[in-house]
Amino acid sequence: MKLADPETKPLSRLNDSVDAGWTRLLGLGRIEGGVRRMLILVVVAFAVFAALKPSIFLSGTNLRNIALNSPEIGVIAIAMMLAMLTGGIDLSLVAMANLSAITMSTMFTAVAAGDPALAEQLFPVILLAGIAVGVLGGAINGLLISGLGITPILATLGTMQIYNGIAVAWTGGKTLYGSPSALTAIGSSTVAGIPILFYVFVLVAVAIGVVVTRTPLGLRIQLQGANPTAARYSGIASRKILLSTYVLTGLLSGIAGVLFIARNPTASADYGASYVLLVIVIAVLGGTNPNGGFATVLGVVLATLTLQIVSSGFTAMRLSAYQYAIAQGLILVAAMAFEQVKWRRRLRSRKPAVQPG
Amino acid sequence: MTSTALKGPSSPVLEVRNIVKTFGGVTALNDVSLDLLPGEVLCLAGENGCGKSTLIKIISGAEKPDSGEIIVDGNTYSSMDPTDAIKSGIQVIYQDFSLFPNLTVAENIILTSAVADRRRLYSGRAARPAAQAIVDELGLHLDLDADVERLSVADKQLTAICRALVSDARVLIMDEPTTALTHTEVDRLFVIVERLRSRGVGLIFVSHKLDEVLKISQRVAILRSGKNVVTSPASMLDPRAIALHMTGQELDETRHVSELDAQSEIVLELEGLGLRGAYEDVSFTLRRGEILGVTGLLGSGRTEIAEALFGVVPHDSGVVKVNGTPVRLHSINDAIDAGIGYVPEDRLTQGLFMDKSIADNIIAGSPNEHTTRFGTLDLRAVRETIQGLFARLRVKAPNVQAPVRSLSGGNAQRVVLAKWLARRPRILMLNGPTVGVDIGSKAEILGILRAEAAAGMGVIVISDDAPELVACCHRVLVVRHGRVVEILEGDDVAVDTIREKVAA
Repeated sequence: MKLADPETKPLSRLNDSVDAGWTRLLGLGRIEGGVRRMLILVVVAFAVFAALKPSIFLSGTNLRNIALNSPEIGVIAIAMMLAMLTGGIDLSLVAMANLSAITMSTMFTAVAAGDPALAEQLFPVILLAGIAVGVLGGAINGLLISGLGITPILATLGTMQIYNGIAVAWTGGKTLYGSPSALTAIGSSTVAGIPILFYVFVLVAVAIGVVVTRTPLGLRIQLQGANPTAARYSGIASRKILLSTYVLTGLLSGIAGVLFIARNPTASADYGASYVLLVIVIAVLGGTNPNGGFATVLGVVLATLTLQIVSSGFTAMRLSAYQYAIAQGLILVAAMAFEQVKWRRRLRSRKPAVQPG
Repeated sequence: MTSTALKGPSSPVLEVRNIVKTFGGVTALNDVSLDLLPGEVLCLAGENGCGKSTLIKIISGAEKPDSGEIIVDGNTYSSMDPTDAIKSGIQVIYQDFSLFPNLTVAENIILTSAVADRRRLYSGRAARPAAQAIVDELGLHLDLDADVERLSVADKQLTAICRALVSDARVLIMDEPTTALTHTEVDRLFVIVERLRSRGVGLIFVSHKLDEVLKISQRVAILRSGKNVVTSPASMLDPRAIALHMTGQELDETRHVSELDAQSEIVLELEGLGLRGAYEDVSFTLRRGEILGVTGLLGSGRTEIAEALFGVVPHDSGVVKVNGTPVRLHSINDAIDAGIGYVPEDRLTQGLFMDKSIADNIIAGSPNEHTTRFGTLDLRAVRETIQGLFARLRVKAPNVQAPVRSLSGGNAQRVVLAKWLARRPRILMLNGPTVGVDIGSKAEILGILRAEAAAGMGVIVISDDAPELVACCHRVLVVRHGRVVEILEGDDVAVDTIREKVAA
């Protein structure tokens, strides 16, 4: 009854086709909730700081810093989004990234001690080894969650402690120095004024966007998160899906580890400790439904940029990291409150859930 | 049924006059007027989307009408709010009953009225006698201390009725009260309804099930496209006439089965299938192009047999052959690989991804059948499949991106069906395919099944709706206490025979 009849409503048909066109154009899902909200937020955040402190905020250094800080956090946030898409979570992402960075640094230093030139030549092998550590960590998570059926938050809390513990024991809690110079070169160079690392971030985002929206695996990940029971009755092998998802988040952590070490030729067990919760904030802010089934990569990318803009804006205004933490929390709470209000309005137009007697 | 004495020539307990309600330019109710006498059962019938739920919401105060008035006991309201409605004695029992599953029956009966009275402290001991009084008055056998989640659907419903009566309901509106009940439970409900009538309660039944409606109601009001097309004594109507008013077209519920070639190959064969405690020695065959009905009471084992064939709860003895080859059915994926599809009974949780789009739901079962050689989804093929099924099954929605949650029961069921047709299984089982589906959709769904069977699919319809089985099934299998007790064929496939065998 509430549905417009498409034949009598040419305007609504036009709207639909415009919508469909956008969808196809962006290829990253409909512009709905998360993405639209983040587009507004990212512009507002940028405009506010550009207006308040244009001399510092709009400087080339500051903008390049935003582009340099975003990739590692963004890649981990996209991994978090994938885990949340299945209705799970992955707390071990940062620990896996550090372990991957430590592996690469250790390998390089060990080989370089004997033959520095060989160590440089082995650069691709070292890179792959680092990423492989991430994949392995992800596979362990996946097996615990899909095979043994441990709740994701507990399984990854456990492995986070394990991976972190291994990293601390391995490094003796010290910071390791040393990485292939090619990697460092990539980390410090720009193309067309934009850091190469940022291109890597965009590439990863596009690739995961394609996986989520354009492959059978991505469709199944979404459906598994939307309704595990219906997924089972539709012939979706949930174990395989969960295993693949956590292997994928492990892979992204491995890539994040590469980004860590490309930015600074150092690796340590406690790098990015604040990222663990930050990436949850980013994923949810970007429109990821923590109950599973709904998320867009574009939303998460925009949320990453927003928080980086706010962070560097705070620095430009000489505000402290604690004040930035407060702002982070406020942005999340405000965005969620906004969502709740909208949700409640939608519920009100439906039948009331409980009839008072 | 009209024999129950009404208390005097009474005036209506509830009247609605000239109600108009529009949603964003679409007229949901167009000048609807109704009245309800004390001690009367009025059936409100109509297809999904005809406006009956909107009308109920307006009466119960959940929605405000654009114009018109609601008169309760001579007091005129231009619109209700939920508190007014409850204070005037209007109670709605929705399909999900809105009970608290973790509380006991007594607590459920008392709690909401205690909350409405703004009582701050709750005493279980004080609550019991009031609950007991209602239960005794209606002559029910309800265990007041049982947790509601452990009750059968029928007992949950009775709990909801008791809860309504505790707050002195004068008008009781029940949404699809018989959908989830077996025949015996429906009979029990109707006994209670008679008792309510003798207390002077006016009842409005919202229902799809025509034969039941006619048995219990004194009057029937039929809505079509937001208009009250007829209000008439039930004795003046028969199912055919009601269907005509509801759809505006003749309903075909006559038997329509194709001539089945006796030589056509057997696609499915069960030999002595059994599962301890559920069913035993189940043997039957299904031919290519055949529609086989499976019926029996709730708990007879009919659903368990279907779930065994779909690998949900595997059988522990016997053999299943598909196209003559024995197959292993240890998981749902085994069954799907063997070419078996299943439209489950619980459409909302097992069949559909409610918040996902129609498109995602249709393609959910067959993404691997729509890939390019790079392993990505072939968007063109996906779109063709989705649009093709969307059009062929005539799903009523603005476009395929609409979430399934926005669809009516009949349209949602078409989406589940589309999900399986996108895969083209050899054997398709449907459990309760038309439960909660309006009659127009019902006829169309049966039509689709006939067409699929004619194209070579083997179809199994599990249902307790006898007319539906008669309308489409070549043969009907009757399950009782976990055993196949009867296989009806030819002229034996008749409504009365089926009901008799099921209840025996």
